[in-house]
Amino acid sequence: MKGYIVKRVLNLIPVLLGVSVITFVLIHMVPCDPAEVYLRLSQVPPTDEAVASIRKELGLDRPLYVQYFDWLWKVLHLDFGKSFVTKKPVLAEILSYLPATIELTVCSMVIMILISVPTGILAALYKDSLFDQFSRVLAFVGASMPSFWLGLLLMYFFALKFDLLPVMGKGTYLHLILPSLTLALGHAATYTRLLRASMLENLSREFVLYARARGLKERLIIGKHVLKNAMLPVVTAFGMSLGHMLAGAVIVENIFAWPGVGRFAVFSIFSRDYPVIQCYVCLMAVIFVLCNLLVDISYSFLDPRIKIGRE
Amino acid sequence: MKSIKLLALLVLILFSTLLAGCGGSEEKAAGENAKPKELTFSWDKDIGDLNPHLYSPNQMFAQNMVYEPLVTYAEGGKIKPCLAEKWDISPDGKEITFYLRKGVKFSDGTDFNAAVAKQNIDAVLANAERHSWLELINQIEKTEVVDNHTLKIYFKNAYYPALQELSLIRPLRFLAPSGFPDSGNTSEGIKKPIGTGPWVLSEHKKNEYAVFTRNENYWGTKPKLEKVTVKIIPDGETRVMAFEKGELDLIFGNGLISLDSFKQLQDSGKYVARVSNPISTRVVALNSNKGPTKDLRVRQAIQHAVNKQAIIDGIFYGIEKKADTLFSSNLPYCDLDLKPYNYDVAKARALLDEAGWKQVEGKEFREKDGRTLDLKLCFDSTDNIQKAVAEVIQGDLKKIGINVKLIAEESQSYYQWQKNGDFNMIFSGTWGPPYDPHSLCSSMRKPSHADYQAQSGLPMKAEIDKKIGEVLLTTDEKTRQELYSYILGTLHEQAVYLPISYCTNIAVYHKHVSGFKFLPTKYEVPLTGIEVN
Repeated sequence: MKGYIVKRVLNLIPVLLGVSVITFVLIHMVPCDPAEVYLRLSQVPPTDEAVASIRKELGLDRPLYVQYFDWLWKVLHLDFGKSFVTKKPVLAEILSYLPATIELTVCSMVIMILISVPTGILAALYKDSLFDQFSRVLAFVGASMPSFWLGLLLMYFFALKFDLLPVMGKGTYLHLILPSLTLALGHAATYTRLLRASMLENLSREFVLYARARGLKERLIIGKHVLKNAMLPVVTAFGMSLGHMLAGAVIVENIFAWPGVGRFAVFSIFSRDYPVIQCYVCLMAVIFVLCNLLVDISYSFLDPRIKIGRE
Repeated sequence: MKSIKLLALLVLILFSTLLAGCGGSEEKAAGENAKPKELTFSWDKDIGDLNPHLYSPNQMFAQNMVYEPLVTYAEGGKIKPCLAEKWDISPDGKEITFYLRKGVKFSDGTDFNAAVAKQNIDAVLANAERHSWLELINQIEKTEVVDNHTLKIYFKNAYYPALQELSLIRPLRFLAPSGFPDSGNTSEGIKKPIGTGPWVLSEHKKNEYAVFTRNENYWGTKPKLEKVTVKIIPDGETRVMAFEKGELDLIFGNGLISLDSFKQLQDSGKYVARVSNPISTRVVALNSNKGPTKDLRVRQAIQHAVNKQAIIDGIFYGIEKKADTLFSSNLPYCDLDLKPYNYDVAKARALLDEAGWKQVEGKEFREKDGRTLDLKLCFDSTDNIQKAVAEVIQGDLKKIGINVKLIAEESQSYYQWQKNGDFNMIFSGTWGPPYDPHSLCSSMRKPSHADYQAQSGLPMKAEIDKKIGEVLLTTDEKTRQELYSYILGTLHEQAVYLPISYCTNIAVYHKHVSGFKFLPTKYEVPLTGIEVN
């Protein structure tokens, strides 16, 4: 197992190298010179002199390969450069916003599990019942409703109409409820359906029939045998979702004025802030890879037949 | 059984959380009532480091709260004293001597004097390339400390808008010596934002909020408020809800909330909703150097075919007023009595006929030499107003047989089109006072501008640019007016701008806020007179 984890972590190196090259090429293919964008963001007309001055200051006057290898060399020393816009070290900037996004994502995950696991199990156990139909409708609504719309609705009712929670911002744990609920509901809808389908598939398997024939209690059959097997595909999707939630929290962060890394990243994309985009994409790649690794490791606990590292 | 207990516990936790929510907000409301003389408003971006000599990410309204200029820009373009009590302009217009106000202190208690003023101006001049867009910086030759409270600025030429440009929010405002970095080069950053202005930045949580407290050392009329909190809210709808809930006292600015939201707040009758005088002009630039719009008659036909009043009524709800000229007549040198292009579809059709673009039987759009009359109208896809106006223009021009293709992309690509001249029509705008008209006219000479590109096909473009150069350097008021009359009159006659509306700032505030008064410039939040009861 240890060897497997080390191997997977080492695999990160070529992945990150590939990601950094692709990101570098892509952001340089996008039209618009970051020097000009910087000036326009400053409400300053981009005169030739000013653009030349900014290009020199940002190091954009050098050949592309020099820019890339210079960046790579610095990254090897954990220096991701300075933001073109804020002039602050990129890594420190991103790390200062990351905790807020992690807080939001973890809270959303918890809410998502609290909603989807019981609903998915009950919907499977009472298939075609009123509860199942109701959960199906909710799942469709939840999955198809855009998060910005859902967020505004939740804000309107819970913050404005019923005056139960703050409208926006970060402060007490009360500020966390609406944004994490908004982020969680869409995902919860998907997981409810996924878990239901997986539960139903496992319920019709022979080992369930055998367990029932052995006279095992239904609670034990469902809790220990069916649910554990049904969780495998759910956990796989869950691992991917964690990354998606971290990277996709931007809409929720914008609506609820949550000071997370997503907002910073999107602002950087519109500002053509290359060092921030590079660092952010690399960081997200690391998070995705680590999430997948955690999912793979969790398989061996859920299904002892899967022995990680012994293929 | 265990799982049912667990479920019950979770429901209980959720319920108690919501109950705690009720208690929390009541406590907060009570707490806020106990704090008088405090105002909260919001902005869509973080205020930045508040470096007075730099631009983005520093927000102009916040720089204006902390730092002051030598002179200020007042209604009608009048220049009023600020840190300079008075000034003398030499007969040749190349030297201005500023007599600095005595007893002015920075918020850290240090004195503001001629040496500090020189230190600041020199720091800006050290990075002149960065400020090359501002002609003033190019024109300043050197600064000299005459005595402790007298500063002389030498200019290369007699540059008439020098005083207007000294009133700008950036880059020529004054940082205390304690705020300067050790290198003295403020373009690398500052130690702390210490100015002479009425407000002091006392707390800043990046991308969350900034708290300004009243500068007790302030030399001028102190604000009635003791504290101003700026919450950073990127989304307009969220801003409206936060305002309705009472988390904000004031919404101020341009484009921070949709016009629909403004109308809804105004119609509710629960708040005070106000609109400022024109602060800039929303225009569509018509390219005189590309395709069918090269022809003056086509440009004139477009002017007559667009029903601006319908745009004002239907899209702007009358909040923005109809614009007939590039600059509003309340700006200096802009009251020229130019004849507006009235909405006249028959005239527009006649002009197109005259230009050779004929309506062909059975075809929707006009043709000339086998080519259809296609025009490209470019707009910023992130700007809902531009999109709505573009659609009306498309519909209006279809009526006279012009096929308008709407091209939308995100902001930076849209600016790229402006720069490259790759458009027949593109949205643009003036900059507002104190930049207008001189700064915008000056920039019309730079190829990186939509204005330059739009004008580049005019037969008299070289003459226009020459006159712009002259108008900036003439010391004679009458000649200056004549030159502006020629420049703006010619641009109007040549129909290179389709003015749509005069942009305004809006303000919505609760009834417990009083003393609000709009300022003549776009980026200054008028906090000084505000009271919260």
